[in-house]
Amino acid sequence: MPKVIKTEVEFEGRFYEEYIVLEGEDLSPWGPDRDRDFRLVGKPQPRVDGPERVTGAAKFTHDVRLPGMLYGRILRCPHPHARIQRLDTSKAEKLSGVRLVLSAENAPEIPWRMGLTKLFDRTLRYAGEEVALVVADEEEICYDALELIEVEYKPLPFVVDPEKALEPNAPKVHESGNLLNGAPEVYERGDLQKGFEEADVVVEGTFRTQSVLHNCMETHGSVAHWEGDTLVIWDSTQHIFGVRAQVAQALGLPLHRVRVIKQYMGGGFGSKNAAGKYTVMAALAAQRTGRPVQVLLDRFEENLAAGNRPSTVQTLKLGATREGRLTAIYHKSILNVGAYAAWPASASGPTKRLYECPNVKTEDYSVFTNLGPFSAFRAPGYVEGTFALEAMMDELARKLSLDPLELRLRNYAEVDPITNKPYTTKGLRAAYERGAQLIDWEERERVKKERSRGTKRIGFGMASQIWGGSGGPPAYALVKINPDGTATVITGTQDIGTGTRTALAQIAAEALGFPLESIRVELGDTQWGVYSPLSAGSMTLASVGPAVRAAAEDARSQLLEVGSQVLEIPRDALTLENGEFVDSRDGKRSPVRTIFEKLLNYTIVGQGARGPNPEDKNVNTFGAQFAQVEVDLETGTVKVERMVAVHESGRVINPLTIRSQLYGGIIQGLGYALMERRLEDPRRGIVVNPSLETYKVPTIEDVPEIVAEMVDLPDPEANPLGVKGVGEPPIIPTAAAVANAVADALGFRIHELPLTRDRVLTELLSRDQDRGRGRGEGDR
Amino acid sequence: MKRFRHADAPDLETAIVLLREEGAEAIAGGTDLLTEMKAGIRAPELLVNLKSLEFKGIRDEGDALAIGALTTLSELEAHPLVKERFPMLAQAASLAATPQLRNVGTVGGNLLQRVRCWYYRHPHVKCWLKGGEECYAEEGLNHRHAIFGTSPCIAVHPSDLAPALIALDAEVRVVGPEVDGWLPLEEIYCLPDENHRERTVLGRGDLLTEVRVPYRGNSRGVFLKAMERAAWSFALVSVAARLDFDGNRVREVRIVLGGVAGKPWRVRDAETLLQGQAPTEELVAKAAEAAVAGARPREHNAYKIPLARSLVRRALLELFELRSRRD
Repeated sequence: MPKVIKTEVEFEGRFYEEYIVLEGEDLSPWGPDRDRDFRLVGKPQPRVDGPERVTGAAKFTHDVRLPGMLYGRILRCPHPHARIQRLDTSKAEKLSGVRLVLSAENAPEIPWRMGLTKLFDRTLRYAGEEVALVVADEEEICYDALELIEVEYKPLPFVVDPEKALEPNAPKVHESGNLLNGAPEVYERGDLQKGFEEADVVVEGTFRTQSVLHNCMETHGSVAHWEGDTLVIWDSTQHIFGVRAQVAQALGLPLHRVRVIKQYMGGGFGSKNAAGKYTVMAALAAQRTGRPVQVLLDRFEENLAAGNRPSTVQTLKLGATREGRLTAIYHKSILNVGAYAAWPASASGPTKRLYECPNVKTEDYSVFTNLGPFSAFRAPGYVEGTFALEAMMDELARKLSLDPLELRLRNYAEVDPITNKPYTTKGLRAAYERGAQLIDWEERERVKKERSRGTKRIGFGMASQIWGGSGGPPAYALVKINPDGTATVITGTQDIGTGTRTALAQIAAEALGFPLESIRVELGDTQWGVYSPLSAGSMTLASVGPAVRAAAEDARSQLLEVGSQVLEIPRDALTLENGEFVDSRDGKRSPVRTIFEKLLNYTIVGQGARGPNPEDKNVNTFGAQFAQVEVDLETGTVKVERMVAVHESGRVINPLTIRSQLYGGIIQGLGYALMERRLEDPRRGIVVNPSLETYKVPTIEDVPEIVAEMVDLPDPEANPLGVKGVGEPPIIPTAAAVANAVADALGFRIHELPLTRDRVLTELLSRDQDRGRGRGEGDR
Repeated sequence: MKRFRHADAPDLETAIVLLREEGAEAIAGGTDLLTEMKAGIRAPELLVNLKSLEFKGIRDEGDALAIGALTTLSELEAHPLVKERFPMLAQAASLAATPQLRNVGTVGGNLLQRVRCWYYRHPHVKCWLKGGEECYAEEGLNHRHAIFGTSPCIAVHPSDLAPALIALDAEVRVVGPEVDGWLPLEEIYCLPDENHRERTVLGRGDLLTEVRVPYRGNSRGVFLKAMERAAWSFALVSVAARLDFDGNRVREVRIVLGGVAGKPWRVRDAETLLQGQAPTEELVAKAAEAAVAGARPREHNAYKIPLARSLVRRALLELFELRSRRD
């Protein structure tokens, strides 16, 4: 009988209450006894869809070509803030091959971004915002037609700097003001003033982080077409069910007439958590033209309008006792959310949660500016916040003459500082120990002395991370046993490139007692009707994995029941191994398919649901990273020589794909630390580097030696699989560890990211000048 | 993209006739032109394909190396004679762009490429160089812009090959109605002004067909490039330096900077300082200082001064150390 319960679910640092429905029996966690017998779980498993990916058979949204498909391309506003005075699409409509032009003139008024704008708005609030959609037989015709659309803009005053946007007479991005919700988000515990009074030492600093762009290899896009009365959408998305709900609402359709498919995706990183305007435009255009319509963004559009990590200005103040116990933390962040926001941004998560500290106050100001709207980006807020917090921890350690690692251990949180609940598991201490061993932390002063020569300076730095990644309900799965003895796993999740298909196949095969080759995982299609949550917040495997295990256990138990009767072996004596029934009395084996030779097309369907997270405990992931860098004082070159990463995310299902996640997160973090930055011209209100030439992401040449390990610590209380997420953790402490190592090498701290050559040289220059004027000695 | 015609040039004469047409543009590797066309920065009526011409390959001419303008950067960097005689040139070629781009991009195209200024390349911007009224970078984001030279456009010349070839005293052959004959590579470059919004003296229909690099006796060169990442990045600052020795004294020296001016920037004051001198560290420091003496930084690019100074110093030290090791 289904059971309805209320539970709390964490997503990217925020908690939400949800009602969920539980089915089936509670599963006991895979404990240590079971561990010894694992055939597949915890073993390196190459991706089950590897051959499709490398041969080009894998179908990405960009690969979808349907008979009669039309192309849709978007006209974008070149001004940072403007009102459309006149819009004339008649010339474009008359161009041969053009099938439709959609704009504010003829499109339905569909509210967008929490009603702050519309699908087609006459007020444009950033350079790159959508003005019209041209649909034509060929892509090239679209581009010709875009040039024939006549738009008269009335330019309006604009602001791109969030600090300026908060000034009293700043141009208004929205009539309601430039501060989201009219106030900062404030968190407080204890008594901040008392905390600082108790402090023997106080450190303070202001840090700036840049806006960075996801630059997914596959840009955002959709292909929409109608099959009878059903709208079918191929969407490059992290959330097929979310896109379904959003599009159904926008077009006023019942859910059962919208089907969303996403089989393969070239990256999302948080920027594809919801339907885009392009999705709804494609659907509307397909409706109007009666033809399939593809709308894809190019790199330029992608980097103006498809999301970003907000820039921040963070002021932090830490107080501590002489022994290095934190007494107070104050953290104020100004976050540039761009023209629209669906939720407030925040950089204070790590400040609230990473260390034990009784008195904490944080304020997060989400500020509207005339720039492309922000979106989630791999551990939103935590990457930015960890950079500032861990820099301040290092400053505190220096002031107290303490080893930075020792300071962190002295403030180790044994219970969650917000909820005061214990953790299900916390492998941070183990991560510190192993990481310090791998980087040779104790020997760092010797290495620095030996290897700092001429203009080169060696430095070491470390940083910690805390993240959610518990996953949670609702998530459902089915496991079908086919008459030939193979099995099909059906879930509504999506593999966004992380290896979800492979991990789910391992779990199902393990639970069923089937070989991996006999498992097929069907996902990425709402038509299966089995809901799974969005693939974000490092929650996919920890949400869907337990549901798959439950469904597989259910199918297994049905299979054994039926098998026992068909084979005439007592149920208790029958087991499943490697796709065969085994009679434990005589060891006789018979393949699963033999029972279906008698039963013909009988199909077993196992059902599984993700149960709730524990109520009395916190589920978190942890990790520590250590960087060794070389800085050239003359050329400003920052070279990361080595990055050690040790993370704890519960049980490891697939060591191969988990290592890929660690590498990927670290490399993306290195881009953030060293080179990536969206540059906005404050006088013109435009982004000057929206291309992959001018916006620098790391090349393989920029990747240092990475030593990545997991503290493989099955978390028996988190969920019956003992798994937690790992997608986001490795990016969180990367920039912080690098920045701390660079500060160690330079002997002073640069408070702003990225640590580009020009920034390092500029800082060195200004210090030279200060020294020339007799200032700057002895400071950092 | 605007519709255009495409014609293979059957021979040099026809190519020049075709290129005299209004709206005609030459295309070889196309790594620069095609990106400009896609971004709507250039919209030629006619593309004249030069790849059908014979100016390819690298020849030993006894007293010089002849490099056809259609030689790809990959061919250049891998050629045994280039590696043996002019390692700095092979080095400059290998640091440009990516292997994929170097497989297609040509020597001629590299020398004549257009600037990478992010305002120039931005489809929403009509800057002075694109026929507009003003330079956006002068008061804008000029991190990557010029510290030398006076021009209404402050974009820098992006080529890595050009500084190396100028340091090697390369000459180029230009065939065409406005410029014709051999001239030093250095002399084809100019800073754009109101009457000539171009970076070379070449006119419509003029084609660069060949590069000639003279052999020197006791000569060593070095090319250094500071980038924003380890690969696939135009130079923030580059330096090409070449020294000929007479005994232990400098007989002849060339120091050419890239990434600092609207054209490859030869620093003659620094060269003069070194002329006829025996190398010392103090002399190197003086020369490095002289190399950046006339620099005028803008809001965001003062870092280029110490960077250029360091690269010149390092290049010279490397050359002198090489020399002393050989002795």
